[in-house]
Amino acid sequence: MKRFIRCMRFHDPGMSKERMMEIRRQYCNPMTMKVTYYKKPVFIHQGHMQWLWDVDGRRYLDLFAGVATVSVGHCHPKVTAAAEHQLKRLWHTTSIYVYPPLHEYCEKLASYFPDPLKVIYLTNSGSEANDLAMLMARLHTGNFDILTFRGSYHGGSPQTMGLTSNAAYKYPIANGLGCTNTMCPDVFRGPWGGSHCRDSPVQTIRDCGCAQGHCMANEQYIGQLKETFATSVPSRIAAFFGEPIQGVGGAVQYPKNYLKEAYKLVRERGGVCIADEVQTGFGRTGTHFWGFQGHDVIPDMVTMAKGIGNGFPMGAVVTTPEIAASFAKGVHFNTFGGNPVACAIASSVLDTIKEDGAQQISLDVGTYLMTELAKFRDKYEIIGDVRGKGLQIGVEMVKDKVSRDPLPAEAMGEIFEDVKDMGVLIGKGGVYGQTFRIKPPMCITREDADFFLAVFNKSIKNYMDRR
Amino acid sequence: MHKVGSCVSGRYAGLLRQSCCSLGLARFHLGIGAVCQKPAFKQPPAELPMMPPCDFQGEKYKGLSKEGMMKIRKEHCNPVTMNITYYERPIYIYHGYKQWLWDVDGRRYLDLFAGVATVSVGHCNPKVTAAAEKQLKRLWHTTNIYVHPTLHEYCEKLASNLPDPLKVIYLTNSGTEANDLAMLMARLYTGNYEIITFRGSYHGGSQQTMGLTSNSSYKYPIATSSGCTHVMCPDVFRGLWGGSHCRDSPVQTIRECNCAPGQCMAKDQYIGQLNEAFATSLPSRIAAFFAEPIQGMGGATQYPKNYLKEAYKLVRERGGICIADEVQTGFGRTGTHFWGFQGHEVMPDMVTMAKGIGNGFPMGAVVTTPEIAASFGKAFHFNTFGGSPIACAVGSSVIDTIKEEGLQQNSHDVGTYMLTELAKLRNKHEIIGDVRGKGLQIGVEMVKDKVLSSAILLRVLWSIYERFLHNVHFSVSVSSPPQVFRIQPPMCITREDADFFLAVFDRAIKNYMDRH
Repeated sequence: MKRFIRCMRFHDPGMSKERMMEIRRQYCNPMTMKVTYYKKPVFIHQGHMQWLWDVDGRRYLDLFAGVATVSVGHCHPKVTAAAEHQLKRLWHTTSIYVYPPLHEYCEKLASYFPDPLKVIYLTNSGSEANDLAMLMARLHTGNFDILTFRGSYHGGSPQTMGLTSNAAYKYPIANGLGCTNTMCPDVFRGPWGGSHCRDSPVQTIRDCGCAQGHCMANEQYIGQLKETFATSVPSRIAAFFGEPIQGVGGAVQYPKNYLKEAYKLVRERGGVCIADEVQTGFGRTGTHFWGFQGHDVIPDMVTMAKGIGNGFPMGAVVTTPEIAASFAKGVHFNTFGGNPVACAIASSVLDTIKEDGAQQISLDVGTYLMTELAKFRDKYEIIGDVRGKGLQIGVEMVKDKVSRDPLPAEAMGEIFEDVKDMGVLIGKGGVYGQTFRIKPPMCITREDADFFLAVFNKSIKNYMDRR
Repeated sequence: MHKVGSCVSGRYAGLLRQSCCSLGLARFHLGIGAVCQKPAFKQPPAELPMMPPCDFQGEKYKGLSKEGMMKIRKEHCNPVTMNITYYERPIYIYHGYKQWLWDVDGRRYLDLFAGVATVSVGHCNPKVTAAAEKQLKRLWHTTNIYVHPTLHEYCEKLASNLPDPLKVIYLTNSGTEANDLAMLMARLYTGNYEIITFRGSYHGGSQQTMGLTSNSSYKYPIATSSGCTHVMCPDVFRGLWGGSHCRDSPVQTIRECNCAPGQCMAKDQYIGQLNEAFATSLPSRIAAFFAEPIQGMGGATQYPKNYLKEAYKLVRERGGICIADEVQTGFGRTGTHFWGFQGHEVMPDMVTMAKGIGNGFPMGAVVTTPEIAASFGKAFHFNTFGGSPIACAVGSSVIDTIKEEGLQQNSHDVGTYMLTELAKLRNKHEIIGDVRGKGLQIGVEMVKDKVLSSAILLRVLWSIYERFLHNVHFSVSVSSPPQVFRIQPPMCITREDADFFLAVFDRAIKNYMDRH
């Protein structure tokens, strides 16, 4: 374990672990305990860049960034300074008044988008952004049905729950009106997949006979989409939501031209195409600022959140002037959205991503990590797939490579806990909880990657030895 | 929001602008940097109200020009942003401190709207800012996959400000998110589906909470509001029934009644309307009833004193749970109690809150009983930002500040004073129809005349409103008739501030009446 960073001042956390757990059980909704990771939870109270400290002063390498949210690093000094500067000036008025930070930020954010995606509405979360995107799509098109992939995650509000296609997050209650799922073009786990489908440094272990420029898997999955069009939805639809790389689904990637063809089919049916960049945005995929750019498409609407503010509650819907105009036929008021502090922070995040070269780091360190992880996949039977782009990485665990059945939850839990005990924090995802997710703050180094690889290797080995 | 082609015209406006300059505004432009408004020149005409002094020192503005901001707003901000922007000539705010706001020209304003009742303890309150800064250097965000101390410090503190059995907290990022979740939890827990709200209510802007919200301006023509029913709002001023001692307010309506003490004919009639909704629009088992203790967007509308008590009973008989939407009334704003529902002597099953909870930090919460919270566990719900370390540090400091600075008592004192003085203005001016509210949740309803109580023309209202621009501002409710001025200041305002506002308001009404 590396030595402490000497310049960090360790703060006294105050409350004991036992007292925290007591309060958590008594005063926090039981959901809070339900989402808490690990058999022995981690009690975090301090962070700096890619490091987190627990209440005992133990340091961890954070490779999950609070779910891909701490984009430029915990308590990043530049962003913190920008926040403090604004906190002394003006926190909140709502947009009933005009204030400079909103306009500075919107102008800056808009410059990161290709035309005609130029019109911005700020919210407080990804769920709020997606909820609005649904509303705007329905208003603009006059249609109602919205399509998403199985395995997708688009939010937890009652309406966005209809988009989300992961049973764990769905409640037995009447919602999801007008939402339909279509087969996820998952080239690892799905019925079709081959050896050069993905826009990733690492391909699947599956074989294919596809000639150059052809993708049988893509054709088959588009066929499935067409079947959905012929059966589950009317001839005119409102929208299609797609994450450029699935987040909660476990960094699932589609065949290279799938989205291009899907967008065309959706538009033929009057629908708008929405890219959910809540996890893939802000340079995380390495090759481009936005995930959709890697698919060589231009959506009609883009939603984002998480990394936008390095952890400050914020989200956004960006769209074309025409679609925005349909929305403006009524009045919508988001009290906190676009507040001066959020804008100052988000503006600083954009600057920091540029100045720190975060997108390039994502590409370099991410590609390195994946190519090394691919070697582990070849070494261990239970690592089924390594995939992703930049620092949006998934490692799917299996019982064995032939069946590709998900590694059981208990085994996943053991390895997960072991990795944590050795000082690295990663995430879990996938419809069956079978995928490790690696989405670090975009400031990690190769050294950090090597440390994680060593820890991961050891934890798999430990597990295999115990079996 | 309706934008009207009225302009600040006439001799008065010119005089006002001129006088404002001579009131010491010139100090700003000398580049000293001080934004104190103690007049440097001889006393202005006695009839113009004097803004109370402020010794806060701020920076001079250096940034985008107003034209530059407007250009970006029109090009890169969703047009709804322009839809909700107040005033024919908007205000360009740069800086805030406690109950004061400064625009980019250095002009100071008394903020009596607090960014819609949100800046509860004052703009950039030093204590809360310090707490935020301390946490920003420590830890911003991890989500609840890890355990962090601030969440627990805050939940324990918040829970201690709520009565049993309302002890189980779930933190969100906004009031809309909180109400969305409250709907979900109510339906899960009861197994029923229908939810009741009042006409004129506002509970959120998401697709689902739009169904609860009963204000046409905020509704889109889209199929999303299933299971939501609106019942007659027991509005004792504008509604079918009302009298002279219905409300829990220092000021009653101008209507008369023959009700004996302890009786309220209006309340009985409105409960009758609720019963009729139960007999017609709703099935025999319902999920919930949402009510704001005093309506916010609706214009500080208040109900007869025992209405909620009886309504809660009827809702529970039908399997529903009672939800108090404290997004605007919570955190001491009503003065007599910390929560608005306490003023109604009821115990809801669930309470939602936001706005003032974080003095402007994006935050909301759903608080409920252990039984109802348990039903939420049927699946997973993950709110990425909810309950973050900074939100909790800020929320915690806000509660401390409310207590340390005695803001609830201040709301009660200054609010009651303002209400009673406004009532005198109501008696003086024909076009002020009603003054109502509690603490610093105040509404002033304007009418064409008191007899018909018909809504004042929007154009007229805006005309009065725009004239205040130079000295003080407060907000107009966005509902279509009735037309209401809403006064919901940071809870740190003083009597002096109130006097200034009253003088300005009186003067503005007088000027309008003189011209017509």
